[in-house]
Amino acid sequence: MRSLSLALVGSGGAGVVTAGGLLLAAAARTGSYAMMRRSSGPQIRGGESAALLRFADQAVECADDSFDLLLACDWRNVDRFVDEIPLGAHSLVLYDPAAGEVPALIADCGPRLLAVPLADVAASVHHGRINMVALGVIAHMLQLDASLLASVITDTLAHKGHAAVAASHAAVAAGRELGRRLAVDATGSELRLPATAATDAARWTMTGNEACGLGALRGEVRFVAAYPITPASELLEWLAPRIEALGGTLLQAEDELASVNMIMGASFGGVASLTATSGPGLALMMEGLGLAVASETPVVVVNVMRGGPSTGIPTKSEQTDLNIALYGMHGEAPHIVLAPLSIGDGVLATQWAVHLAESLQTAVIVLSDQLLGQSRAVLDRPADVSFMRRRRVAGSAAAAYQRYVLTADGVSPMAIPGSSGMAYTADGLEHDQAGIPSTRARDHAEQLAKRERKLAEADYGPHWGEVSGDGSTAVITWGSCTGAAREAVQRLRASGNRARLIALRLLSPLPAARVAEALSGVERLLVVEQSHSAQFYRYLRSQMDLPARTDILARAGPVPIAPGEISARLQAGS
Amino acid sequence: MSGPETIASVEEFLAHAYTLEQESVDRYEELADVMEVHNNHDIAALFRKFAGFGRKHASEVMRLARGRHLPRLQPWEFKWLDAEGPETSNVFDVHYLMTPMHALQVALDNEQSGCDYYALIARTSVNAEVRTLAQEFAAEEAQHVSMLQRWIADTEPAAADWDEDPDPPQMPE
Amino acid sequence: MSEQALSGPRAKDYKSEIKPIWCPGCGHFGVLTALTKALAALQLAPEQVALISGIGCASRIPAYTDLFGFHGVHGRALCVATGLKAARPDLCVLVAGGDGDGFSIGGNHFLHACRRNMDITYIVMDNEVYGMTKGQASPTTAPDWVASKLTPGGTGLRSFQPAALAVAAGATFVARSFSGRSNEVAQIIARAIQHPGFSFVHVLSPCLTYRPEQKEWKHAVTDFGRDDLPTANAALAMQVLLNDGGLSTGLIYEFERPAWRPRAQTGAGLAAVEEEFAV
Repeated sequence: MRSLSLALVGSGGAGVVTAGGLLLAAAARTGSYAMMRRSSGPQIRGGESAALLRFADQAVECADDSFDLLLACDWRNVDRFVDEIPLGAHSLVLYDPAAGEVPALIADCGPRLLAVPLADVAASVHHGRINMVALGVIAHMLQLDASLLASVITDTLAHKGHAAVAASHAAVAAGRELGRRLAVDATGSELRLPATAATDAARWTMTGNEACGLGALRGEVRFVAAYPITPASELLEWLAPRIEALGGTLLQAEDELASVNMIMGASFGGVASLTATSGPGLALMMEGLGLAVASETPVVVVNVMRGGPSTGIPTKSEQTDLNIALYGMHGEAPHIVLAPLSIGDGVLATQWAVHLAESLQTAVIVLSDQLLGQSRAVLDRPADVSFMRRRRVAGSAAAAYQRYVLTADGVSPMAIPGSSGMAYTADGLEHDQAGIPSTRARDHAEQLAKRERKLAEADYGPHWGEVSGDGSTAVITWGSCTGAAREAVQRLRASGNRARLIALRLLSPLPAARVAEALSGVERLLVVEQSHSAQFYRYLRSQMDLPARTDILARAGPVPIAPGEISARLQAGS
Repeated sequence: MSGPETIASVEEFLAHAYTLEQESVDRYEELADVMEVHNNHDIAALFRKFAGFGRKHASEVMRLARGRHLPRLQPWEFKWLDAEGPETSNVFDVHYLMTPMHALQVALDNEQSGCDYYALIARTSVNAEVRTLAQEFAAEEAQHVSMLQRWIADTEPAAADWDEDPDPPQMPE
Repeated sequence: MSEQALSGPRAKDYKSEIKPIWCPGCGHFGVLTALTKALAALQLAPEQVALISGIGCASRIPAYTDLFGFHGVHGRALCVATGLKAARPDLCVLVAGGDGDGFSIGGNHFLHACRRNMDITYIVMDNEVYGMTKGQASPTTAPDWVASKLTPGGTGLRSFQPAALAVAAGATFVARSFSGRSNEVAQIIARAIQHPGFSFVHVLSPCLTYRPEQKEWKHAVTDFGRDDLPTANAALAMQVLLNDGGLSTGLIYEFERPAWRPRAQTGAGLAAVEEEFAV
């Protein structure tokens, strides 16, 4: 893979996220693949932020080990995110002397430095903005087609009015001129957008939150209850107008206790339902999810993980809600936990989640995270997938209808309100087959076994995970670490080594037999995850035997695990 | 709410009588059920017996109503003495350890209320035919009252500690 | 009775075969009777009615009916009902529960359900005590009630005024009744169901096990006895409720405010949504 990594940083009102978005959109139109992460501080307005972009000649699913180019509009609070922008001697840093000296934190990394008077040039343009001048400088460096960028700017900023669009064009032109004057292309001649082979495949640009939203709609979710929380709110906001356009409803709840119970109510009414939240909200939803399991009401919760515990680091990513997703419910409550393996995989993972919830009448938690959710990618259009089996609905009963009747596969036909003669009461109290509350040992044993059986014996098909490569060394990972792990394994192979990648989309019930099969012949295993306490490793260990030589690469957020970290660990052990 | 004295037709009167008996049956069945749930089977059987009497009376009313077109009244449109039907008034005078004496008292109160209700109509209705019918019904209720009084006289009074509960209440949820 | 009078479901037809676990003499029997009478009065098809509840003695009620029921977790019945009504506006959605379920653990949802004004009827059977957990004080318990082991000196807290809260929070139908007057309760529930908005029916419903003194409510309850009720004037309703001893019954407040309705449209297909992602 050939790629270019670029960081745009700036504080309050500098507009680096807007500039980054324009750059991403323009690169997409040139045929480049790309990914843009955001790193931001705690303030609502005026906080420092960084747009972290990576352009590549093929689909890109993770950050690179370091950045080729850093453009700083200013250095305010740079210490808050400098760890997320690794630099080296190969890196080029563009900075505005008017915004102060290059901080030691940056200079000590040994990058080449080049002063660019962004503020001065912006001041010379009527209503000129620094971020647009910066965009012009970068466009010049990357040799981005001027008319293509201009059309992206016109399309994207049209809602701000003609004057704003004209000012942006002027500032970008001034930036290009600045680039020419300073001959930055000579300084960074290797900095080009990676060329991509022409392809007929439709390409999309979307965030992980949007991908999960689309997966919900493809899965025919038609009711969503929503309580705002970072970093999941955008998923809900994306859905709000679109689910209505498809004949569904989104309702803002008073809290997460309400939202999880609302989706149960809608699902009881026969409508596929979903909510999205993040760690603190998921914690509040746990009692409700236990009820969904016990009452066998299909529901899906997309949990966009952020740094924890407690309020933690709401704006930054981590994979640390695995434990609560697996074990958070009291009693014994078999349910399903899935995770998208990339931004675009949010579509499949969420659509599959809806399918599994509906067909198995249970609760499904989808573990996305801030890194996937709030990053935007240019990617190939996610394939259409269709799932045949839907909710098993009870038509009419010859004898008295029994909602929780014992069946071979554990799934009982569910009556939908409106069906004459089929009334029943869904219950979170342990119950007998008819749904009548029961404290009998036998009913408890039967219903526990039934709820376990329907999940344990379900056919999860090929979507349980992705396995690639060969050799006696393997990396096993899940969720958002998959991109970095995949790239690490590819690099190893490119350097003549063999390695396998096993990435789990289905976390619970753990497809232990499939994983064991994928591990067959593996002598050395590296478990990769973004957590401090190695939650994923401990989970795997609790469920199955792992190779004797199993190492752990577990690190807390918010700095994403990079491919180089993984390949270094693999090589260190060989 | 208009009083029972304004019941002006046989059809209206029979609709009241039928509902009075039917609600009495429903109430006794409910009491029998709750006594069964609470393992007081003797009293449950007694309430089932009372329900049976009520059912018999209801079918007698039905027989009188044959060929007549009775009005369908909403629960709150009946001309009772207060909001509730006469034979369902004793909703709170029950206890899970209640004795036959208590159950008979409940029944006696109900029958007395029924008797009083019919007697009032017999005295006050504007319709002569209704007055005659109500008189018959009141007389029958009076028989029930005296039967229950005899029954009570033959029944052992409840022991002083009848409601002593050696098992404290449970905490089901 | 004539054929006409017997046609259509009777109150009893809305009851299930399951025998309630309520104590003999429990006020909730009267509410169950009233509810089924109201449904019979409106001749609603049982399968078109859903009855949602949380946890507590009163919340056991769905299983005792032949309606589609959902017996959920403590305090969240209104949320389940809200989701159901939003997704299935064609159904008649009822919620029932007790004072602890509705005003303590579920208090926030009560306020927001009133405010949202969906076409839902909420019946609270208030006995001023937690029965299922053996007699602790609830939000409506008087401050000086000392019979609970959990609050031996009484709560010392002013009791909640549910009907006043409902008016303040935006409910558009507020009534109070007494379970011993099941025909009055039936009439109020029937009107509440017909009211197009959030209807709050506060039913005083004695607990003879933990609050045997509530037997006396039978003699203490009276009609509001005001010819200016029901009113659409929230200020008047509040004034009446705040000056009332809590034992007056009847419909207090009814106000026409558009009920929350889903804004669902149809027309656009998924393809149009997906088109937005194209580069």
